[in-house]
Amino acid sequence: MSPKNKKKEPGFKFIKASGGIEEYRLSSNGLRVLTLEEHSAPVTTFMVTYHVGSRNEAIGHTGATHLLEHLMFKGSKKFNKEKNTAIWSELQNIGAQINATTWNDRTNYFEVVPSEHLERAIAIEADRMRNAFLKDEDRQPEMTVVRNEFERGENNPFDVLDKNIWATAYQAHPYHHSTIGWRSDIENVSTKRLQEFYNTYYWPNNATATVIGDFEKKQTLALIKKYFGEHGRSQHTIPKMYTEEPTQEGPRRIMIKRAGQTGIVGIGHKTPEGLNQDTYALQALGKILTEGKSSRLYKRIVDPGLATSLFMYDFPFKDCGMFISYVFLTPETDHNSVEEIVLEEYRQIIKEGIKQKELDRAKAQIKANVAFSRDGSYAVASALNEALAIGDWTFYSTFMDHIIKVSRKDIQRVAEKYLIEDQNTTGWFIPQN
Amino acid sequence: MRNYFSKKIVVDEPQKGLSTFVLPTGVKEVITFAGSLPCGTLYSPRKNSEISSLAAGMLDKGTKNKDKFEVSDILESVGAEINFFNTAHHVQFTGYCLKNDLDTVLCLLGEQLRTPLFLEKELSTLKKRLVGNLERSKEDTKKQAMIGLLRKLYPPHHPNYALTTDEKIELVSSVRTKEIKTFHKNTYRLGGFNFSAAGDVSPDTINKLLKEQFSRWKKGPDIPYRLDLKARPIKGKKRRIPIPDKQSIDMYLGQAIGINRRHKDYYPLKMAIYVLGGNFSARLMQTIRDEAGLTYGIGSSLSGTGFGSDGYWSTWATFAPDLLEKGKRATRNQIKEWYNNGITEKELKEKKTTIMGAYKVGLDSTGGLAARILSNAQQREKIEHLDKYPEIIKNISLDKVNKTIKKYIKPKQLTFVAAGTFDD
Repeated sequence: MSPKNKKKEPGFKFIKASGGIEEYRLSSNGLRVLTLEEHSAPVTTFMVTYHVGSRNEAIGHTGATHLLEHLMFKGSKKFNKEKNTAIWSELQNIGAQINATTWNDRTNYFEVVPSEHLERAIAIEADRMRNAFLKDEDRQPEMTVVRNEFERGENNPFDVLDKNIWATAYQAHPYHHSTIGWRSDIENVSTKRLQEFYNTYYWPNNATATVIGDFEKKQTLALIKKYFGEHGRSQHTIPKMYTEEPTQEGPRRIMIKRAGQTGIVGIGHKTPEGLNQDTYALQALGKILTEGKSSRLYKRIVDPGLATSLFMYDFPFKDCGMFISYVFLTPETDHNSVEEIVLEEYRQIIKEGIKQKELDRAKAQIKANVAFSRDGSYAVASALNEALAIGDWTFYSTFMDHIIKVSRKDIQRVAEKYLIEDQNTTGWFIPQN
Repeated sequence: MRNYFSKKIVVDEPQKGLSTFVLPTGVKEVITFAGSLPCGTLYSPRKNSEISSLAAGMLDKGTKNKDKFEVSDILESVGAEINFFNTAHHVQFTGYCLKNDLDTVLCLLGEQLRTPLFLEKELSTLKKRLVGNLERSKEDTKKQAMIGLLRKLYPPHHPNYALTTDEKIELVSSVRTKEIKTFHKNTYRLGGFNFSAAGDVSPDTINKLLKEQFSRWKKGPDIPYRLDLKARPIKGKKRRIPIPDKQSIDMYLGQAIGINRRHKDYYPLKMAIYVLGGNFSARLMQTIRDEAGLTYGIGSSLSGTGFGSDGYWSTWATFAPDLLEKGKRATRNQIKEWYNNGITEKELKEKKTTIMGAYKVGLDSTGGLAARILSNAQQREKIEHLDKYPEIIKNISLDKVNKTIKKYIKPKQLTFVAAGTFDD
């Protein structure tokens, strides 16, 4: 749809539309707004995505983005405990689902509300965008909350292994550290540093507001203008993260020995930035290897009882990624034999490619996943949030169009290009009884 | 919103003993479904309660006409899923597919339930994997603490009782193919079979397809499980379950409450507990987490009250080992305050609007809807019950809530169980 055909919304510039989703810019401050009306249930999701994540952190303040996200619930000028308008109470008391998440490339705050309460969600998000308190007396107790979140992650052998594989594969790039950060940074980062972080990144021109569900567009855009229009754009340019990962020049290996019951093998290979065209073939390759009981690795590893389960992920990130297969071993299985089976399957695909039937199955699985990513307003907003994080929300709306075009040759080519020894980082969790 | 479910859900019985509950929604292309048969753990022979679980686990390992790879190929070639699992009362399945593939998927579901292929070799592999999962669960501090709590509150064979992980491993390892075949023959049949679906779906199509699959299946009476056991007498007990190399401890404080969800005091008590620890703005999260910073997560809930079971109230939290005692003390203080002074009119009003709003928000996706409708049917409630829920909540009085706290809660006799690596 061309911009000329769109009805003009006062105060907004229409940018583009794709898959029923429309993009606008609030002219006064550059806030991007995405809308998708869908009236099947009386529910609307409102989400604000800030284009800042743990990739914007450095040594000494790892985990700061996430800790800041926690502090954002402690109150803002209009919504706080003193006024009896605390954020959690204001939203949970109307039955809203409310939360926030932080990851490598983005931080998002969301509310799934009965539609008649949408204005409250917009007002709260607008206020805390620039008027959050971020007090030191709030950071102290919240630090121990976040530290317990970290400790809970450390309880889980998979979390520990995954964290260590990334830290080994990426040495210079900030994907080196996990979003929760290192323990000592969580404990010691100052409130001043968190405020600086907030004042650097939390601006309308570094954010996207997404509205999905049962709302009326004209009225909603007017509300967004009313509340978010109170803020100007940042006076500074939002800093760019410029660190690049040097080329890896050989395989790497990490072993974690801790008390535990069963072993885990994780095999990672570096992949390109999410918006690279090879991402689509890599996504299909992942399905062929591990999705479902007909997948190659399931048949060779789980089906004969060498493992209780396996899965792989290759989340598209902004800068670079990792194609990681994880295998959870049964008690008598040794790490080495499973690692060899995984690599043998990789080599087999590199050498002989895949069958058309495998590709068709992967595409059918992805088609169903895409259809279900439209089941409910939150599902759509959440998928858009991840596409925004990597730099282009139409990654979500055009994903299936690209997947359809993936060929068997593409799969073989990306396997040959990325699943190579020199780009490999392998991790073992070795239980100590 | 009034009578949303009773107006929209089409209830039918395409075959005697098989009830369907179909909710067409505005979502395009996708269908989510769920279903259950009354043949869960409690229907296993007493000598081995894991037989039902293994029978459910074998349902995707092939049918008389299709081997396991043909089964997975049919589903995966259309991007669909069917997953079977076992609960105390039921074998359940959940699944999803695109609208055009419904015929294929329900046809396969029928075959899997009616004519599963219980091969010796497959059972042996399944047991190996289950044992691996059980061994891994010994590292899970939350799971182990919950098992510890339930064993203190209930006697063996009660629906809410939990076996130790080692006991389960032993039982799983000893199940034989013959026992599974006999169990399937005796318990899998029409009678108490419920099926729910939501999404881009036509009730007529669902009923037609299910009738085709199950019209000649054997029938039996729909007999609910008869509960003949009660919780152990309430006595404050303590247990620590050491698990090495853990940085966070999972803790439960709990007690049996002696009533099930059909009791007149159930909803007032549930409301009281919701005010204490039902969500982030409830007392425990506000004080122990938000103000004191002692934990990442704490909550309180009423559980195990379905199907006539006398349920339990539990409060769960995680603490770093050096904060466990402080956290436990602070939690007990909050419980004491709640017990002594009850909840306020303001809290009741707020939580009522929370629950009513959450009821609406729950309509957002088909997955949640299919599960909610199935659960209602399993509890032998009419569809109208789903619509009555907001009314029930609206009519709860402050006086009743505070009286139920005094009547059921014994703050000095709470059982404490914690699992993790302890400082001392």
